[in-house]
Amino acid sequence: MPTPTHYRNHGAARRSRVARCKLPAMPPTSVIQLLHTLRRVELVVTFAAFVVLATVIFADVVIRELTGTGLAWAREVGVYANVVVTLVGIGLASDAGAHLRPRFADRWLPAAWEPTLLRVGEILTTLFCLSFAYIALRVVLETRDLDERSVVLRMAVWPVQAVLPLAFVLAAVRHAAFARWPTLAPAPSSETST
Amino acid sequence: MTFIGLLAIVLLLLALRQSLLVVLGCAAAYAYLIWGGGTLEYIVFDGWDALNRDVLLSIPLFLLAGNIMAGGAIAARLVRLMRALTGPIPGGLAIATVLSCGLFSAIVGSSIVTLLAVGSIMYPALLQAGYSRSFSLGIICAGGTLGIIIPPSIPLILYGVMTSTSIADLFLAGVGPALLLMGLFAGYSIVVNWHRRLPAWDFVELVAALRSGVWSLMLPVIILGGIYSGYFTATESAAVALVYAVFVEMVIHRELNGPSLFRITGETTRLLGSLFPVLMMALSLNVFLSYQQVPSQIVEALNDWFEGPASFLVVTNLLLLGIGMLMDIGSAILILAPILQPVAESLGIDPVHFGIMMTVNLEIGYLTPPMGLNLIVAMITFKVDFKTVVRAVLPFIALMFVALVIVAAVPQLSLFLLD
Repeated sequence: MPTPTHYRNHGAARRSRVARCKLPAMPPTSVIQLLHTLRRVELVVTFAAFVVLATVIFADVVIRELTGTGLAWAREVGVYANVVVTLVGIGLASDAGAHLRPRFADRWLPAAWEPTLLRVGEILTTLFCLSFAYIALRVVLETRDLDERSVVLRMAVWPVQAVLPLAFVLAAVRHAAFARWPTLAPAPSSETST
Repeated sequence: MTFIGLLAIVLLLLALRQSLLVVLGCAAAYAYLIWGGGTLEYIVFDGWDALNRDVLLSIPLFLLAGNIMAGGAIAARLVRLMRALTGPIPGGLAIATVLSCGLFSAIVGSSIVTLLAVGSIMYPALLQAGYSRSFSLGIICAGGTLGIIIPPSIPLILYGVMTSTSIADLFLAGVGPALLLMGLFAGYSIVVNWHRRLPAWDFVELVAALRSGVWSLMLPVIILGGIYSGYFTATESAAVALVYAVFVEMVIHRELNGPSLFRITGETTRLLGSLFPVLMMALSLNVFLSYQQVPSQIVEALNDWFEGPASFLVVTNLLLLGIGMLMDIGSAILILAPILQPVAESLGIDPVHFGIMMTVNLEIGYLTPPMGLNLIVAMITFKVDFKTVVRAVLPFIALMFVALVIVAAVPQLSLFLLD
């Protein structure tokens, strides 16, 4: 299980690149603690959702083979569990610098600009995540007002849909922290994958 | 003019090192603002519809099953079995490398994990057995790419989702080209190493290796056997594979415990968190393009350009080879498959065949500079310089190119099992 030390060492690869920036060396402990807690909670939530996903789909197969009739609601529960796994995973991917990124344009701008570029990049990503979260929130509220319900379970869709804005807000929190304290930011996954 | 604005935004975002999620999200927002009446909520509605599909469930389940199996000593077990099987053949150790990569990637579905797991065992073994460094590097890098085409393959699932093509058909169609590639790699290994002294068969070792590796070998059999015998769908097979992987690694091999399962699940979630939002944005953009009838307009425009399927296949393959040098396979499929597949279909090319050809083509991108992922991983893992790795993979790129030409020209190679 990662500890707050994880964040202190997180941006080691990037630290040398941002050394020329006049930025605070390390963020306050409360920020490190916040990110650490966020990560732990997300890991536990996604693990639980993964267990639900695998269990319902597998149970559907087993029960169908044994009784001839599967669980009609299994797919719907599986889809919702998958929504939780993959959307909460956005923050975990941000936390690890694992988002897919084409790198062929990395040398288009001067290398001397790199510290500034990294920061501007994080600010842009934060703004994107917040904008998307805002639009998603409006969609969730609309779904709630329309009392939209799922096909099989007949449950309200909006509580599951609410993971959408929440996931993007949590990702925005990370990127905002990385923009403010670039040493917190992880090295891109291709640099750490080995 | 408005299209130039879109292109400028995309290029600017790429230069500012934005992730594909942000680039596609901004492209979708621009498209909705300029051509779609300005209602940005549609991006979220379409994105939600994209996520709210059970066909996607196979991706997290297969990924987790593969990561669990890769966490144990499965690579060592498979390598042992393949070495016992191929020992008396010229270039046997190299063939064992190819077969181990093929089988391992069929289980874990990841090119990089295959390269690292099999390569870390086979690279020193190949050098110790007297194989040249260049050949050893080349065969490991090339073998590592096989996971892309061997079912269950995530790129094939992505292609199926983006183009509404049967994933079960794509899995089956991947078998022929995978065998062709493995055959070409193995044949080249035999020719290059024909002069090597051969050990005799060791049946005791073969039986022992089979016993040790049989549980891992059963996974692809269960997945493909289950799907094609009609017991379960591709999605259900992924859940069965996951439960089987947990059972084998926890109960049989005893190489997985609770904390490591939690850690592996976290790593898989991180991967999904990078893939699914892009998938969501790409599908949302795809819905918009379809609504605006862009694919049909492209089909009409390109149908005038191309005399027939042959010229389209040549141009598409050249385009994809270029794209594969710059982009990872998942991103390329998400963006290009929904644009190119309708054109291919309008020219009479089977969508399954086109998907396989596209995947084999983009597979070469793993070995081509400047962005070839296997080159970078091999360079760091085996501590060699970039030029040496690039030189080492050149014969294998040529072999893969031959395979691509055959796959493109002979649709039956992909479709014979479907027929």
